[in-house]
Amino acid sequence: MWIYEKRLQYPVKITKTCPKTAQLIISQYGGPDGELSASMRYLSQRYSMPIKEVGGLLTDIGTEELAHMEIICAMVYQLTKNLTIEQAKTAGFDAYYIDHTTALWPQAAAGLPFTAIEFQSKGDAITDLTEDLAAEQKARTVYDNLLRMIEDPEVREPLKFLRTREIVHFQRFGEALEKTKDKLDSNNFYYFNPEFDKNMFHGKL
Amino acid sequence: MSENHLAIANVPIQQWGELYTPEEALNAGTVFQDLNMPFFATESVMGTTNPIANDTGSLGASREQQDREQLMTKINQISFFLDDLTLYLDTHEKDAKALKLYHEKSQECAELKKQFAQKFYPLTKLCVLHCEKGETGFCLQDGPMPWEGACV
Repeated sequence: MWIYEKRLQYPVKITKTCPKTAQLIISQYGGPDGELSASMRYLSQRYSMPIKEVGGLLTDIGTEELAHMEIICAMVYQLTKNLTIEQAKTAGFDAYYIDHTTALWPQAAAGLPFTAIEFQSKGDAITDLTEDLAAEQKARTVYDNLLRMIEDPEVREPLKFLRTREIVHFQRFGEALEKTKDKLDSNNFYYFNPEFDKNMFHGKL
Repeated sequence: MSENHLAIANVPIQQWGELYTPEEALNAGTVFQDLNMPFFATESVMGTTNPIANDTGSLGASREQQDREQLMTKINQISFFLDDLTLYLDTHEKDAKALKLYHEKSQECAELKKQFAQKFYPLTKLCVLHCEKGETGFCLQDGPMPWEGACV
């Protein structure tokens, strides 16, 4: 169960319409390393995690990613809500406008729709946590790239906030991996699949 | 803590260290000074005050809106402090300092949200009971939508 809280985790107040910027940051909504992808990845992986605390962490980070998705959507919305047709044409936002007007739709910067193919839920705790570490780094790189291109401080501040969150989440997933390793034989972490072969823990989970 | 082993990723467990204040933490994106690792391309504008996450309110806004924004900013700061502490506690469940701080800030946060519902509008379903007009009309949809940027 989730409870909605009627505020953004980090406030967004953008006063200047800029469809070009909207088209770039929409990638963090529906792109390959976006917040929707991140959220669905963690919220899908958690069910079969052998260590309860790791499943709990995936729930909490997956939930925070939903809040990040809302921040990105608020930014895209505010960057385009007063859009004129002229602005849409000159900024190259016209193709998006034809299909969605100024509504929000999850897609990558290059126009590819959001897809679950972007993330994995593999059913092996080491594999999934290693994917999660990589996912946080990929998202950080996207924020780095956005911060190189975008100059408006009203847009940069939320992006900087979100970038730092990727680093914090990386640290937490690293700690979750250490917790998982602690339950395994360090001579061979790969002797069995900790998510599937649970009887190999002999009740020690 | 695990030692290093071949053929698997290794991330050291974070040790408790210096914290930011709730105001600083929301601006930095973390409560933990050790985890604040800014990108060089953002350094040139560092040192300037964040135009958004401060409590000065909007220029030209009504008194009520200013009060509301001030309280909302406090809620954002305390809530984020708790968000970051939650993740820390998920992997450090016995850390006494973190636990104590979590309880203190949780109480503070609950009190602020109650005040916000009493003065302005409820932020969650659970806040509806603190709402003044609770018996004459449903207040859950009162106030601006969060993505409008009207109440930061």
